[in-house]
Amino acid sequence: MKNVRPLARRLFPALTVLTAALVLAGCSSPADSAPESGTDAGTPVIGGTMVYASGDAEPTCLDPHVGGNYPQALVASQFLETLYTKDAEGKLIPWLAEDSTVSEDGLTHTLTLRDGISFTDGTALDAAAVKANFEHLLDPKTSSSTGYLALGKIDSMKATETNTLELKLKTPDNSLLESFSMPWVAIESPTALKRSQEENCAAPVGTGPFKVESWKKQEAVNLIRNEDYVRPVADPNHEGTAYLDAITWRFIPEAATRYAALQAGEVQIIDNAQPDTIAAAAKNQAIEHLDAPRPGASNRIELNSSKAPFNDSKVREAFIHAVNVDAGIDSLFFGTAPRSHSPLSSVEPLGFSAPSLFDYDPTKAAELLDAAGWDERDGQGYRVKDGTRLSLTFPVSTSQSVPAEQSLFEQLQATAKESGIEIKINLLDLSSWYGKLAKNDYNLVSAPYTKVGPSVLSVLFHSDSTIPAPSGYFANLSQVKDPALDALLDTAGSTLDTAERQEKYAQAQKLVLEGHYLLPLYDQQNHFLYSSELLNVGATTAVASPVFFDTWLAK
Amino acid sequence: MTIASDTDRRRPRIWGAARWLLGKLVGGIFVLWAVATAIFFGIRMIPGDPAEAIMGGPGSQASAEALAQARADYGLDEPLVIQYLTSLWRLATGDLGTSYSLKSPVSEVLGELVPATLVLAVLALLVAWALALGLAVASTRSGKLGMALGSGLEIVSAAVPHFWLASVLIMFFATALGWLPPVSTNSPAGLVLPVATLALPLAGFLGQVMRDTFDEAHRSSFALSARARGESETGVLLRHSLRHAALPGIALSGWAFGSLLSGAVVVESIFARPGLGRSLLSAVTARDIPLVTGVALLSAGAYVLIMALSDLAERLADPRMVAP
Repeated sequence: MKNVRPLARRLFPALTVLTAALVLAGCSSPADSAPESGTDAGTPVIGGTMVYASGDAEPTCLDPHVGGNYPQALVASQFLETLYTKDAEGKLIPWLAEDSTVSEDGLTHTLTLRDGISFTDGTALDAAAVKANFEHLLDPKTSSSTGYLALGKIDSMKATETNTLELKLKTPDNSLLESFSMPWVAIESPTALKRSQEENCAAPVGTGPFKVESWKKQEAVNLIRNEDYVRPVADPNHEGTAYLDAITWRFIPEAATRYAALQAGEVQIIDNAQPDTIAAAAKNQAIEHLDAPRPGASNRIELNSSKAPFNDSKVREAFIHAVNVDAGIDSLFFGTAPRSHSPLSSVEPLGFSAPSLFDYDPTKAAELLDAAGWDERDGQGYRVKDGTRLSLTFPVSTSQSVPAEQSLFEQLQATAKESGIEIKINLLDLSSWYGKLAKNDYNLVSAPYTKVGPSVLSVLFHSDSTIPAPSGYFANLSQVKDPALDALLDTAGSTLDTAERQEKYAQAQKLVLEGHYLLPLYDQQNHFLYSSELLNVGATTAVASPVFFDTWLAK
Repeated sequence: MTIASDTDRRRPRIWGAARWLLGKLVGGIFVLWAVATAIFFGIRMIPGDPAEAIMGGPGSQASAEALAQARADYGLDEPLVIQYLTSLWRLATGDLGTSYSLKSPVSEVLGELVPATLVLAVLALLVAWALALGLAVASTRSGKLGMALGSGLEIVSAAVPHFWLASVLIMFFATALGWLPPVSTNSPAGLVLPVATLALPLAGFLGQVMRDTFDEAHRSSFALSARARGESETGVLLRHSLRHAALPGIALSGWAFGSLLSGAVVVESIFARPGLGRSLLSAVTARDIPLVTGVALLSAGAYVLIMALSDLAERLADPRMVAP
């Protein structure tokens, strides 16, 4: 076959050009002028099945209590609801809960639940139901990860009245209500939770606008309208149940296939839309775009301060000035990902931004590196100190960093080289990537973290978070250990004074930014593309997963 | 004594068949053992704890109690040798274990997925055979230019990687023309693109090996004498040339089936089609050892079986070879 391949290679470009020509011909046919979505969508149409195509791996369990990742949250947002949520303005509001009060010492939380809400199996929502959910989350057998952490400060709980639950905390936690807004802490029917885990994973029972009808693995989760749905907070514009009859939740791992299925009208909405696809779709009037950045941390590169060369803050600062992030984002993300200069997502009201710290400035980088003793160069132009090259290992998880992000890292690698810094990018599967982190075998790393509220700062930068979990995982990847920072985070996380909370979290962010522990890139990207036949798309949960209660299909 | 001499003559033939079967059986068991062993140790080379895979994948923040519970439940706290021997014993008794990620018996998971992949692979093999034979016949009958054209087509299709071909087919037939769905559903239309993606490269390979033999046979003296006997061109083609051309094709079909199974990993993922290949991919990512082992053993078993069958078919098609 050796003599065969060159011919094939010569034929490839010709075929590619031919294909491109045909595709362009197919796209250039003018689409009918589509109605604007969101605003003035017209009269709702009742009925129809919406097909959702997810690019994420199919969850192994539909109950987000088990494990607890974003793909689970996306689908569970249709059939489960949370105690709290965020309104369209991003304000935290009670949902299944009616109200909550905190004792003066911050150790007792009293939750009141709404009347008249039932799970789709007929069980009523009450304090005992919520208690059963929290117990389910805290039970090691459930193997909850995300929800377990969110409830970590709860010491004991008691249903004092039918609709009143009293929670005793080990230490004050002012992020508790924000935690309650996450789908990983969603409330399920206590009757259904008593089933085996296998049964509950296949069809969790909640209070949401839809319910799980069936799940055919590797094909689709079939959701149907909850005919008895009672919206906890009345919507004057939309009384009663959801407009859609059903949602078919499919899994199409290939980005190109997913987009092709949307164009072909086989599916009406896709997630994990990539920058190039979003740019292409912008020219297509039959396709709309929903940009819903996730809350919690921004996407950022962490600088491992626990070992050389980044144990020297000058070298960290030099690295930050040596890489041209803005140029890379401009060329690779087609305007879909605005630059971030904060440890927190732009949807977090308490985010603190410091753009002046992140200029691309090779001259400054050179001065800093010279001052730090990295003033010699080797044959390849890299800086050297005491015979060691200034070299940084950068393990990248191919399942967490999308192709555009991987390309961005390559561009940073190229600009860093001009300043004499070597970056060794190591593309890895998730297991191997976690393996590298557990062994402290990295200088740079980028790891997303979704959580509602600024308490994610404690997860990422408190010295407690450098202590690995039994699996070897730890979240403080810059490995900053600063007693002053810990004190700020502790106070910010426990105070009942909202002004103090804001002030302390701002100081904590300023501290990690000025300590050059991280290089913020952009918000955690969460883009959806949908057919213009789908109207009123845009409502999301507190973790930015879409909810389709208000959505309808134009006929 | 004619009867006795008859049995004398037959005995070695039965012995030969038995020996052939025994050989295939022992060889097959060896292959299965090797596969199970390679996977058992290979998958443990990936860093990380299998208990984590059970508790929801890498980077899980499962508590120490939960991890310990999982280790005890799945026997992961035993020494590696014991685990290996236990797993071999279980496999030998037909117990494939419970999938870490899906939490259901592997045999059940496989049972659900095998039909989908089998339909895909068998259809692709049939289409590939039909295309290869058709192209071989058509190009031989249309002179030098036809030969060159046919050969060129085969070379190109044989060299095309599945993922590229799949993307091009989707762009052509789903996006640009809108004739076929890009996502494989259970409808016949949904099968066209995945089958074409698997069949085209295979047809190229089969066609290449068939064409030369076919051309040679078609111009050989026995074809000439058949024509002289007054046999029609179609008769010569069907009774003589094709039989010759089929031989290397049959010999390749065992290998071809294996390549179809590996191709299914790519094709099922791209066309979002349920099946063995797609679950193998997710099982490897999730470090789901029992499921990976199950899929691999099943593929290896199928491969061994198809090899034996193609060996048998080859013996039957070629009178010079001793039938078992």
